[in-house]
Amino acid sequence: MTSFAPTRRTLLKTGTAAAALATFAPAVLRRARADDADLTPYKSAKVDWQQTKGETITVAVIPASYFENLISLAPQFKELTGIDVRFEKIPPAQIRQKSVIDLTSKTGTYATHAADPMYYALYAANKWVEPLDAYLNDKSLTDTAWFNFDDIIPAWRSANGINGKLYGMPYDGEVTIQVYRKDLYDAKGLKPADTLEAYVSNAAALNAPNDRIWGAALRGLAGAGQNMYIYPSIFREFGGDWMKGGKLTVNGPEAEAALAWYVDLMKKYAPTAAANWNWPDIADAFSQGTVASYIDAHSSASVINNPQKSKVIGKVAYARWPKGPSGKRTTSIWNWGFPINAALSEKKKKATWLFIQWAASAETQARTAHRFAGPTKRSGVNRTSIWKDPDYIKLMNGFGPNFVEATMDALQHDTDVDWRPRVPQWPAIGDTMATAIQSALSGQATVKAALDEAQRRIEPMMRG
Amino acid sequence: MTGRRLHTAVVLAISSVLLLAWAFPIIWSVLNSFKTDSDVLAYPPKLIFSPTLGAYRDVLFGSGSILPNLVSSMIISVGTTIVTMLMAIPAAYALARLRFHGKKFAGFYVLTTQMLPPVGIIIPYFLVLRNIGWIDTYQGIILIYLSFSLPFAIWLLVSYFEDVPFEMEEAAYLDGASRLRTLWRIIIPQVRGGIAVTIVFVFLNAWNEFLFAVVLSGNTVRPVTVAMFNFVSVEQTLWAKLAAVSVLAMLPVVVLGVVAQKQIVKGLTVGAVKGGGRR
Amino acid sequence: MAASAIAPAETGSHGGFADFGHALAQRERRFAAALLAPAFLALLATTTFPLIFLVWTSTYRMNLAMPFMNGFVGFENYRVLLTDERFWSSLLISLVYTGATVALQVAIGLALALLVMDMKRGQGWFRLIAILPVVLSPAVVGMIWRTFMLAPDFGIVDFLAVNAGLGSQNWLGDPTLAMVSVIAIHTWQWTPFAFMVLLASLASLPEDIYEAARLDRATAWQRFRRITLPLLRPAIVMVVIMRTMVALTAFAAIFTVTAGGPGTATEILNLYAYRKSFTELSIGYGAALAVALLIVTIIISGVLFALRRAK
Repeated sequence: MTSFAPTRRTLLKTGTAAAALATFAPAVLRRARADDADLTPYKSAKVDWQQTKGETITVAVIPASYFENLISLAPQFKELTGIDVRFEKIPPAQIRQKSVIDLTSKTGTYATHAADPMYYALYAANKWVEPLDAYLNDKSLTDTAWFNFDDIIPAWRSANGINGKLYGMPYDGEVTIQVYRKDLYDAKGLKPADTLEAYVSNAAALNAPNDRIWGAALRGLAGAGQNMYIYPSIFREFGGDWMKGGKLTVNGPEAEAALAWYVDLMKKYAPTAAANWNWPDIADAFSQGTVASYIDAHSSASVINNPQKSKVIGKVAYARWPKGPSGKRTTSIWNWGFPINAALSEKKKKATWLFIQWAASAETQARTAHRFAGPTKRSGVNRTSIWKDPDYIKLMNGFGPNFVEATMDALQHDTDVDWRPRVPQWPAIGDTMATAIQSALSGQATVKAALDEAQRRIEPMMRG
Repeated sequence: MTGRRLHTAVVLAISSVLLLAWAFPIIWSVLNSFKTDSDVLAYPPKLIFSPTLGAYRDVLFGSGSILPNLVSSMIISVGTTIVTMLMAIPAAYALARLRFHGKKFAGFYVLTTQMLPPVGIIIPYFLVLRNIGWIDTYQGIILIYLSFSLPFAIWLLVSYFEDVPFEMEEAAYLDGASRLRTLWRIIIPQVRGGIAVTIVFVFLNAWNEFLFAVVLSGNTVRPVTVAMFNFVSVEQTLWAKLAAVSVLAMLPVVVLGVVAQKQIVKGLTVGAVKGGGRR
Repeated sequence: MAASAIAPAETGSHGGFADFGHALAQRERRFAAALLAPAFLALLATTTFPLIFLVWTSTYRMNLAMPFMNGFVGFENYRVLLTDERFWSSLLISLVYTGATVALQVAIGLALALLVMDMKRGQGWFRLIAILPVVLSPAVVGMIWRTFMLAPDFGIVDFLAVNAGLGSQNWLGDPTLAMVSVIAIHTWQWTPFAFMVLLASLASLPEDIYEAARLDRATAWQRFRRITLPLLRPAIVMVVIMRTMVALTAFAAIFTVTAGGPGTATEILNLYAYRKSFTELSIGYGAALAVALLIVTIIISGVLFALRRAK
């Protein structure tokens, strides 16, 4: 899987790769281990990998291909370090809850877990996880030059830090970009939107519900990681500021304009069902050819290029977020990171750090991405250097025109660390906002009433 | 006469529609489980398609195999049933047949334990199980399942014990048989039917439980009702596999339902006089 | 529910064992204690202890997001609860959900039972198919309905609605339709229960009363109103009580289908307590909500049992 012709063939291969989840053959994985089990790249690091030999740690991850790839390399880690890693797969809807319950009870069940960046404020305020800087700077634990922390995508590093301290090591991440049907756009002479205004007019031009084509779709499902994942970008683009005058504010004119834009777009140009869609549903609809454009995670490209169900392969192109009235483009800065549970013994903490260092290293990132022998390659690697690797770029370009460019531009220019309010009370705030957004969308409340109600509910949470 | 025929025709038509309405969601899931993802997503929905066993192959033998979860569900349900019955039979017997102080209160107590909202008591469960290291273990889940299976089993059994004629017991007792022996030899054979009904219901309720399992299960012990959600993945919904998993999760209880049809109807109708299951 | 099961037993045992004397009575007590001990210890541990803990928790401010603020607050959580609009609206939704599902189950179940009562062949089919939804896990039922049945882009219900000229509807995204949908799902799953119970009760009604009525030339409707309904009343009341208890604590199906959405349109009290405790991590307040739910359940069952006694 090393020689890629950057044309239709790559496209098909990437498509097959995308079908990963559907056909995850253990036989292929075993081969992957045999081929790539050479440990020399790791041993070149000036670190005693075997220093916590015999430890066992439990790592909670979500059932996603980017973690499956990592899990399949675990035998290599065991051979390198003598540490046993037990992976526990928990659906994303439950992993936050389960890890918070584990952290608050201080039992140390999960040495580390795939963490939501929005939770670090909560973790740090309670000292539930360790600041990672001490581990990064400890010569006996980390070969700084080999690990090359600065190579990790800056936006994700800052998203996982609180007051300048790093609490979670980014493993896999994503940005939100515009995905559109190039064939439909070309037929009407449309260009991908540069402004939110243009995005609406594009959607209007292509919206033809009678032919089962809708202009656009955004996440409508209520949830801190669903509609409260897409709305914050719009809020920021309309010039909204979560911490107005040092006080968490979710209502006001900018918020109203942003939410009104979202509700208007969804009501007029999205399938009615989108009000309950999370991103897999959006990608499914787009892959069936019923949605002309959506703004969501760049990683969704693998679904819409899955030859097993997509009808739009070869008709897709990508662009950055449209600019908002404030002139800003704001993407999500989502990443799954690995923190260290503070309730662990010192030795287990070290073992956990070795695991994190291994998982986030350029070598493992490459081995789980373009150099992975199984069918799914990751599209969310954490290293700037890999995003510049020709092999990786070739693979990613298989998803369609401008994919790499749009993703890289978004990563470098459109991220915003205050995309969502980073406060310890986020779990409650995220849920309250999610409910408010959906109330406005479903017509249960007006935009203003929904936001004012959310503000009223959030104020006592912030008072503590 | 034509009125009579019309009547029959109307009854037949209405009842077929209703039969279909009930069976359809289940049939439809079964059909979808034999489709490919693109056939599941097809619009208009496809009734005719070329069936494939691909989804089943993947969910049974693929990397995210559901087999361990089916085994988990089975161990939990069988374990819960055994433990529940071992405790419920003596207790129900005592409540139905013996005379002692505070019996009324004891019966009322069993009743009230059923009203507890599961949502509210899951936190204490979690904290206690964690302290004794029983999270993600069979004994932990089975212990917790007693909270709903035990009261239900006790009062279903009480009604059966009450139906045994007292004369039989007295005769045995006067013959010098010990109480325990009387219970074992004389009474229990009389309520075999009731015990079978109770076993069926306890098993069903344990198999179908969801809320406790979500919070208290882990990698080692994860019943199929919870594991099912892994197929609504982060990356995409695996429609055909989701259908296949749903069918596999339904299969044991549907088979049990068909085989133990008589017991279930009996349990429900006896329950209608005494009470019913909790979901 | 069980109260009725216990009471007759007691009167029965009086007569049966009256002659055994004092010493025997004492032995009997000891024997009873030995038989009851395992079950009651288990019940104490798995129900009573958590209940005490729950009530205790509800008097605390206990927020996992801000443990440093935790502490005893007395009735503060309850004071907040009484002015919490979302509590009242979720309570109302719970009551509407319970009322609607129970009424529909009884009405449809009874109609169906009357319909197939005289059916010679085919009744077996009804019984068989009626078993199916009842034995399924509400979580699986919710999943099936949410996806293959109600998904607007490829779900079969939407396809049927479009062909029936109703247009594509947002079954789970519109506040009213979502409520209708979750009520329909619960009704779908549990009507067979009412059907089976009422069918069995109908079968046990004495045939000769009907004969007499027929000789009196009573119409079918009159026979139903004057004879069937009064005779079925105890069974109907029991079905209502049992289904009400279950509907009030229903969780898994709504959780998988709408999770309370859109907005809070299908957020029953149970679900609100869950979200407060586990999503917002506000355990103390969540406990107060759960206690409120318990109180509501007790009041409603008290009223229903009183109704049952008022024969």
